[in-house]
Parts: sequence; C-alpha cells; structure tokens
Amino acid sequence: MKRALSAVAALVAMVAVVAGCGTGGPESIVDKDTLVIAVRSDLPYVGFRKPDGSFEGFDVDVARYVAGKLGKDFSLVPVLAADREKVLVDGRADMVVATYTISQDRKATVLFAGPYHISYQDILTRRDDPIGNVRELAGRKICEVRGANAAQRVVEERKVAAEVVPFADYQACLAGLKNRQVDAVTTNDVILAGLAMQDGSGLRLSNARFNEQRSGIGLPRGDVPGCEAVNRAITDMYQDGTAAKLLHTWFDASGLDLSTIAVPQFEGCS
Amino acid sequence: MTVVSVRVPPAPARRSVPGRIRVISGVTAGCLVLLFAALAAGGLTVRDGLQVIGRDAGPQVVATAGLYLALSDMDAVVADVLVMGDAYERERDKATARYEQRRSEANQALLKAFELSGDNEAERRTVQSVLDGLGAYERLAGQALLLNERSPHPPGPPPEAVVRLYRQATDLMRLMLLPQAYNLTLENGTIVRRTYDDKATTVPLLRGTVVLAGLLAVGCLVWLQVYLARRFRRVFGPALLIATLAVAASTVVGAAALGQNEQALREAKSAGFDSVLALARARAISNSMQGDQSRYLLDKERADTYEHTYLDKSLSLLYVEAGNLETYHAKVADNSGGFRGLLGPELVGAKGAQVEEAYQRFQAADTTFRTLAADGRVGEAVAARLDPVSAAFGAYDRSLVALADEHESVFDRAIDRGESTLGGLWLLLPFAAGVIGLLVVTGVWPRLKEYR
Repeated sequence: MKRALSAVAALVAMVAVVAGCGTGGPESIVDKDTLVIAVRSDLPYVGFRKPDGSFEGFDVDVARYVAGKLGKDFSLVPVLAADREKVLVDGRADMVVATYTISQDRKATVLFAGPYHISYQDILTRRDDPIGNVRELAGRKICEVRGANAAQRVVEERKVAAEVVPFADYQACLAGLKNRQVDAVTTNDVILAGLAMQDGSGLRLSNARFNEQRSGIGLPRGDVPGCEAVNRAITDMYQDGTAAKLLHTWFDASGLDLSTIAVPQFEGCS
Repeated sequence: MTVVSVRVPPAPARRSVPGRIRVISGVTAGCLVLLFAALAAGGLTVRDGLQVIGRDAGPQVVATAGLYLALSDMDAVVADVLVMGDAYERERDKATARYEQRRSEANQALLKAFELSGDNEAERRTVQSVLDGLGAYERLAGQALLLNERSPHPPGPPPEAVVRLYRQATDLMRLMLLPQAYNLTLENGTIVRRTYDDKATTVPLLRGTVVLAGLLAVGCLVWLQVYLARRFRRVFGPALLIATLAVAASTVVGAAALGQNEQALREAKSAGFDSVLALARARAISNSMQGDQSRYLLDKERADTYEHTYLDKSLSLLYVEAGNLETYHAKVADNSGGFRGLLGPELVGAKGAQVEEAYQRFQAADTTFRTLAADGRVGEAVAARLDPVSAAFGAYDRSLVALADEHESVFDRAIDRGESTLGGLWLLLPFAAGVIGLLVVTGVWPRLKEYR
C-alpha cells in the first residue's frame, strides 16, 4: 500500500515538474530577488549622482518606491541618455527610471511601464532672451544631448528651422548656453527646471509646454508580468499621495506647474 | 506469490486472504479518491477561470471602455460647440443632445463598473474618484458653455476667457478622469492574463493527474479481479467489471472535459478577449484623437501640443516611421498592411480590412482639415471638422465596433461552451463517484464476508 502510494506521489510530482518547466520566456523582474535600476546621473533634482557617489532626485525616489512596492532590494547604476536602451537589452539593468520618454520606435526594443509622470517639452534660455514659444527658435542655436530626441522634435515635428548643436550631456549644454554657444536648451520641463535650480544664475524657463512627454519605466521587452506589477505600483504611488509629495519636494521651488497631479494614462504592457 | 500462499498452513492463509483483499481494495480506493479529487479540483479551477475571465474581468473591460468613450466624447462635444460660434444652430442642438446622452451613458457605465469591481479596493477607489471628478468637470464645462453663449463669436476659437475655462475642464477630463478609466480597462486585462496563465499551467497538470489516477485505478481493479478470480475460482465479478469500465469511462470523459475547458479558456483569451481589449483601447484612443482635432482649433496657444498628442496617438494605433504629422498622413495613405502598433495585429480578415480603409479615410480627412487650419481658413476648418472629418471618424469608429463584435461573439461562445462542458462534468462527477464506489463495495464485500 505504502509503496503504491509513494509511486503515485512520485508520478504526480513528475507531471508537476514537467508542466512547470513548460513556462519558459525571459526571467521577470517579479521573480528576481534584487533589481539593478538605472537612473540618470547628470540631471539635478531628477537623477543626480552626488560627490559621495549616492544618487538623488525625483526619478531616484520613484525607483525606490517602485522597488519597495515590488518587495525587492535594489542597487542603482548610472545611465546616460544614449545608453538607456542598451543597458536593458544587454541585461546590465533590470529597470530604467531615467526620464525615458515613451515612443513607438523605442517600444520595438523596450517595454514601457507607466508613464509615471507626464511632463512637457519646454525651453530654457538666458534671462535676457525673449524666446517665448517653439516657433521663436527658428534660426537660433539649440543644444542636443546625444541619445535624447527633444531637439530633433523641434526641427522635424514642429518644423522649426533651428540649428541643432550636439553636446555630450546637459552640464556641457548648460555651459554652452551660458557662454552663448547656443541660445536655448529644450527638453522635458522637469529636466530644465532641475538644471535651472542647480545653476541658480537666473536662467529662464519659458513655460511654452509644446509637446507632451510621457516618462515611462523601461523594462526588458517581453516582461509583461513585471510591467503590470510596476503599473500597479505607480497607481499606488498616486493613490497614496506619494507622487504628489515627491513632486512637491523636488519641484516646488522650480516654478513648474504642479496644479494637476494625477495618475497618467498607462501605455499598456502588451 | 500465489504459490507461496498455497503452501503456507491453512490458518494464516485464511487471515492473509482477506488482508490482501483489503490492501488491494484500499489502494484501489486511494486511486479512485485521487481520480475524483483531481477531477473536482480541475473542475473548480476551470470554474474559477471561466468566472473571472468570462463574467468579471471580461465584462468589466467593456464597461470601463464604455466609460472612457462616454467621457471622452463629452469633452469633444463641448469643444465642438465652443468652436461653432454663433453659426451652426442645428448642429449645436444635436451636440447638446449628444452631450446629455453621453453623460447618461457615463453614469450607467460607472454604476456597472462599480458593481463589477466586487471587492477590488483599488478599482472601487478609482470609480469613486471618477464619480467625484465628473461632477467638477460638468460644472466647469457648463461655465465654459454659458460664457461662450454670452460672448458671440464667428466659428473658430472662442474668446480667451472661454478658452481658459475650457482648459480647466479639459485638463480635468484628460489628465485626471480619462487616465483612470483607461487604466481600469488595462487592469482588467492584467487580471485576465494572470488568471489565464495560472489556469493554463494548473489545468493540464490536473488533467495529467486525472489520467494517471484513472490508469492506476483501472490497473488496481484489474489486479483485484485477477486476485479474486484466482482465489475464489470465479471468472467474472460483474460488479467489479462494470466498475472498471465506469472508471475508464470517467477518466476518458473527465480528462476530455478538462481538455475542452482548457481549449475554451484559450480561445476565449486569445481569439476573443485579447482582441476585444486591444480594440476597446484603440476606440478609446481614437475618440480622444478626434477630440484633439477640435481642441487644436479651439486653443491656439496649445495647438502645437494638441497636434502633437494627435500624432502620438496615431502612431500608437498604427505605427509607421514618421517624425511629423505630414509624413504620417502620407505614409498611412500609401501604405497597405504590415503596420505595427495597437491596431496592427487586428487588421486581418474582411472586417479588419474595413477598419484599415476607414482609418485611412479618417486620416485623409484630417490632412485636409489641418491644411485649412494651417492656411488660416478657420471657418472652413471648423466646417471640415464638423462634417467630413466627423463623418469619417464615425465610419471608422463603426468599423472598429463591427470588428470588436466579431471577437466578442467568439469570446462569448467560448465561455458558454466552457460553462456547459463544466456543467456536464459537475453532473457526472458525484454520480460516477457514487456508482463506482457502490460497485466496488458490491464486488468485494461478499468475498470478505466468506471469511467471517
């Protein structure tokens, strides 16, 4: 009797193992114990590496919240705009929280959870420059940071004949603005607000708000369960008031319009 | 073994025969319990899957998508009325009626969504929050409409004060209410995917267990009969023979029923639900696109943003590589088939082809509309928006509905089929278990009695 029962048990267990192996696919972040999260290191108030090597900013706090909601330990690694796709594809990071604007062509290689924040494309100029909207960039020099598509959008999508000058990162861009190599920096308003606050020399944000920019959380393509779990975490972040608290903490002093803070319309994980 | 028991002295042999019968019967009973437990567990798992996918989350997708459409259209209608100015009296009356209708649809959808949210706290909070916001929206939209009526203007952008009021209303709608409705739809997609993935691994496992337990039970019954035949020199035990056949039949029927249910769930999910969800999302995004057209006319200061969101949404529906709207229009008009984006995989079959054509016509109408607006012919642009563009959008929207209906009926049929198969299984299960148990006892009991 015992022998027969143990034989039955062994067979059942075998069936279970065989069936369990059937569900292949890439490992989801949900199944990992620790996450490597890539954040920007060059964007003050957004994703910034302090001299002691630690990170701070809105994106960093969002990353921390999401990892907490997923119940994961995490480590942060710096990523530049141009490398955001690469770190996900070659597995150096499990998640990218780096003002990563969702776009359809990026979706071919990356899965986006969120957006966790909607920002707008805006223009940063020197205090004495009267540029007030995107059309007034015609004939002016604007900075383009490698890997970001904001400047390109001015020229291609808005068809404004601005002269695009490439720079390695926003610090170089800002220096270029101040020493008149370029006349304007255009990208997400949160990035510009952070740069202007850190600079403190009175650079001017025009509040032109001409393109909606949806910042998503980048995940390896195919990790649908992970994406859905992150979306739930983002919903919680807005419903429990954390999102509002973080936005006010980081951007209250910046002059950004924080009148509407609401959970953004998600991109969907499929 | 038999040889051994024949050789041992009579007294111990007399004790060992009933003992052995009991052991074999016990193992048989164990296998039967495992068989029926696995069948019952399979049935329960499938029932849970059919309930969640077919009766909760599936309908919730339809309800929440309906909510999004009603809300989005309310905001688009308000924008339409505001750009009509002091002309288009007849259209304005029609628009007002449409606004009322959409509001009532939104209320109904909210009630339904609340009912279907069951004990899902996050969903309930969301429905509550939309309900609250809708009141505020109606107040702001009402103020904008009233002020617009008091400040006559030709077709085109209304006075600045009206625009400012509308901006508050549309921001509330687009940035706070619509995302919540859309995310509710997505959340139900998540629930369905998780439930399906769970069932798609559990049900085959249980089905394997059913087959295994069934085979073991049949083996045990045969063993029991062979033993009894040898011991008692009877060739047939009719009761046990029938029991064996009944176990074999239950195993085959039960495993087949679970297999059919697995298939029904797969079909409901892959051929029905996934497309219903994708098309519901596409309809929602499309509706907000046509609203963006009116808002683009209405608010000069934000015209660039509204054009951008229109392009962004177009790209998410049918993706072609295009850096601006002009290129997009041209490529959509030229291209036939092979699109990526939300709608891409859905554009198959006759109804899918109709959607593609209707979408191309809608984008063509948009091309004309944008050209008029860009040339400063505002009055003509308003006229284009109110007639040819709206008509093209209506046709496109209807084609989406027709395609979604097709998938919805696949979904409903699969769920119905699953439920009726399951109903049959529930009928069979207690009956078969009872009869088989009885037969085994009838077959074994008289033999044991001989030793009393």
